[in-house]
Amino acid sequence: MSNPFREELVSRNQAEPCTVVIFGATGDLTHRKLIPALYNLAVDGELPQGVKIIGFARRDWTDEFFREGLEKLNKDVSRTGHDEEIWDGVASEVYYHQSEFQDEAGYACLAKRLDDIDAERGGKGNRLFYIASAPEYFDDILLNLKKAGMSDQREGCWSRVIVEKPFGTTLATAQHLNEVVNGTFEEKDTYRIDHYLGKETAQNIMVLRFANAIFEPMWNKQYIDHVQITCAEHLGMEGGRGGYYDKAGALRDMVQNHLLQLLSLVAMEPPTDLSADGVRDEKVKVIRSLRQWDTPELVAENVIRGQYTSGNINGNEVPGYCEEDRVDPESETEAFVAVRCMIDTWRWSGVPFYVRVGKRLPKKATEISIHFKETPSVLFNAAPGGVPDGNVLVIRIQPDEGISLRMNSKLPGTTLRMEPVKMDFHYATSFGKSSPEAYERLLLDAMAGDATLFARRDEVEEAWRFVDHIENAWHESDNPPPMAEFPAGSWGPKEADEMLKGEGRKWRRL
Amino acid sequence: MAADLKTDNLGLPVEISEIDGELKKLWEADDASTNASLINFLVYTEDPQQLSVNSEMVQQFTQDNACRAVLIAMNRKAPEPSVQAWITAHCHLQNGKKSICSEQIAFLLSGRSFGRLRNTVFAHLNSDLPLVFWWQGEISNLFEERLYSTLDRFIFDSSTWSNPPEGFARIMEAREQTGDHMVTQDLAWTRSYHYRLAIAGLFDDPVALRSFPEIEKVTIKAQRNQRTSALLLLSWVSQMAKWKSGLELSLAAETNPEDGESFLFESKDSRNIEATILWDDDGAPLSLLSVQAPGCVVKVSREKGNAHLCQEICSEGHRLNVIGPADSDKPEGLVADQLSRGGKNSLFLKVFPRFLELIS
Repeated sequence: MSNPFREELVSRNQAEPCTVVIFGATGDLTHRKLIPALYNLAVDGELPQGVKIIGFARRDWTDEFFREGLEKLNKDVSRTGHDEEIWDGVASEVYYHQSEFQDEAGYACLAKRLDDIDAERGGKGNRLFYIASAPEYFDDILLNLKKAGMSDQREGCWSRVIVEKPFGTTLATAQHLNEVVNGTFEEKDTYRIDHYLGKETAQNIMVLRFANAIFEPMWNKQYIDHVQITCAEHLGMEGGRGGYYDKAGALRDMVQNHLLQLLSLVAMEPPTDLSADGVRDEKVKVIRSLRQWDTPELVAENVIRGQYTSGNINGNEVPGYCEEDRVDPESETEAFVAVRCMIDTWRWSGVPFYVRVGKRLPKKATEISIHFKETPSVLFNAAPGGVPDGNVLVIRIQPDEGISLRMNSKLPGTTLRMEPVKMDFHYATSFGKSSPEAYERLLLDAMAGDATLFARRDEVEEAWRFVDHIENAWHESDNPPPMAEFPAGSWGPKEADEMLKGEGRKWRRL
Repeated sequence: MAADLKTDNLGLPVEISEIDGELKKLWEADDASTNASLINFLVYTEDPQQLSVNSEMVQQFTQDNACRAVLIAMNRKAPEPSVQAWITAHCHLQNGKKSICSEQIAFLLSGRSFGRLRNTVFAHLNSDLPLVFWWQGEISNLFEERLYSTLDRFIFDSSTWSNPPEGFARIMEAREQTGDHMVTQDLAWTRSYHYRLAIAGLFDDPVALRSFPEIEKVTIKAQRNQRTSALLLLSWVSQMAKWKSGLELSLAAETNPEDGESFLFESKDSRNIEATILWDDDGAPLSLLSVQAPGCVVKVSREKGNAHLCQEICSEGHRLNVIGPADSDKPEGLVADQLSRGGKNSLFLKVFPRFLELIS
């Protein structure tokens, strides 16, 4: 029977009690994001009662040691602060399970532990496996979960898996991983996490477009000149991240997942409904419609890659990319990429979507800007200064999540002079409550069986198909497009500016 | 003005006709602050002494809810009609740097003059922003069609009413006349929000859920002045559990004002369920909701002043104890929580017919 007290209590799918098993529990993600997210859900009263958390990792830790480390970091990073009473409640349900990822006996032992917990709960329980380990262990973990019978569907209960990025490193590896995942869990129980989709403003893109009558009629090639998606990061390779990053690069690390997901939300057609597949069907059509840059010449024309040289950020000298810790001095990995994306659909034919992402740019900011076409310049031509640029709708993803609209206005005075003005909406000051962290929303959705904000298999593979062509041109062809350079602390290589300049456009100044 | 009326936190006294001009001057004099507003927030009372208290509450409220606040106090006992007004701004630092301010206009309307309340409201709204109206105390005859037809959200606290059925009758009439456009929000209902979440969460537990069809007893403890909160909570429990209602309902109300009230419900399979509301003025406004079945007790409780609810399942071989958030004890906290949750309050409307049966 279903719980009658749940009816109409909250207007979302209801998260159900479960045991969360985190693989890679000693890592940064668990300490900085996952546990604080679960804690904050408990603070808000959103965490289902009886949720237990088992951290699975190789290090020889005890439950107590694990909890102490989690508590220490929760105090530093939790969105809502740290309430001892709530923390004690959460921590008392946190356990540590020591095992190698390849050790079958460790999984058998885990299975027994889960069965005991279920028995304690009074019956079979739900299980949520979160794979937050290094990617080379994904296969081992999934296969061992299957062998130990933990992925089996049991009557009235569910077993789901959340897989962290990177979901593959090429189309072939992503397809292989998908085979392994779907050989272990059904697609409906597979949640490929992209934390950008859990951000409030990303979720708001659909609301902005489809719940406001003024935007959607103009959301097409008739009125929109181009779209820019920027993800700028002022950090470089601090904290040893060069080891991972130098193998991945900006295109694989950010464009294949986060930025193509944002692009698909901006460009998709209205879904038939808000079901997970309703939304994802439309998103995948966008990614499938991306014009493929499948020759080195097309890549050279439409994609700029770059590395930063030494420079200055916030008054501090910083090294160039190839001098960074754990980066190969001869590295051919891009720390910046700008891509001109063309979506070959009726709605977007001829409208470029410029996507850029980079390390060691002047500041940390992720935003989408919709640049509308300019008005016919017959009326105000003679005005001093002419007409400023066209309208720009900016969707800020982070930091300072919000939306702004730039429009032109007459300056006060006796002459007709125009200046752009901005209407600005800030999430932080507008709703009187802080936005939950992306991981809070996504964990809750996974517990509720709502996969809308998670990537589906075909989305991931189509995105890899697009990215693979570019990677191949860079690394497999005889005449690879060159690696551009830019000084750290600037807005990327001049080649990226020229890509837009040639079309009479320029990157938005953030 | 009543001689002992406290007005020092209301700001600058202004002539009614000068309010807009004086507000403009206020902003022009301060370049460092941003005037922010997302709602028109009206707070109405028929107790003039409350004006200053409300200004303090709005000071707190605007920390998280930028608004244009309009405070109106009506002194209907005054012999001659008169109007006084004050303006001020409540400013808060955002992220430790930017000062975000909400403007406040306070009115003291004295004497009897029909239509003055609504006209005062209409004249001082920020256009296009939602109109949230918090009516404090009894619903008087000033709550009339031309006023309520303009409201987006109407907030009240039925636990402060001397005659709840009469107050609700007025509000339901208003809802009907506005075609249900006006969202109504009873703080007596909001006060049990986290209790409801907690009970629902506890019944996700398979042991608790298995005991559900055998529930035989419900106990609620509340402060005596929270009778409507307690009855609304009981109404929700019985309505969600689909215990029989209408003509088939075997409802025996044995009112004993000293200790509490007891009710008898009938389950789908014709078992009796005994429900008791006990008064406990030394406890939290709502201090206990206990649902009992043979061999299983599901309990949510709160100690006075504690910010958390204790949530428990006790059954043979199975115990669960967790802590969760509790609802605010302060009305302005409940209002802020409610506004942050939004919604059209459809669950309240679903439970409401049962509540009317219990309260009558």
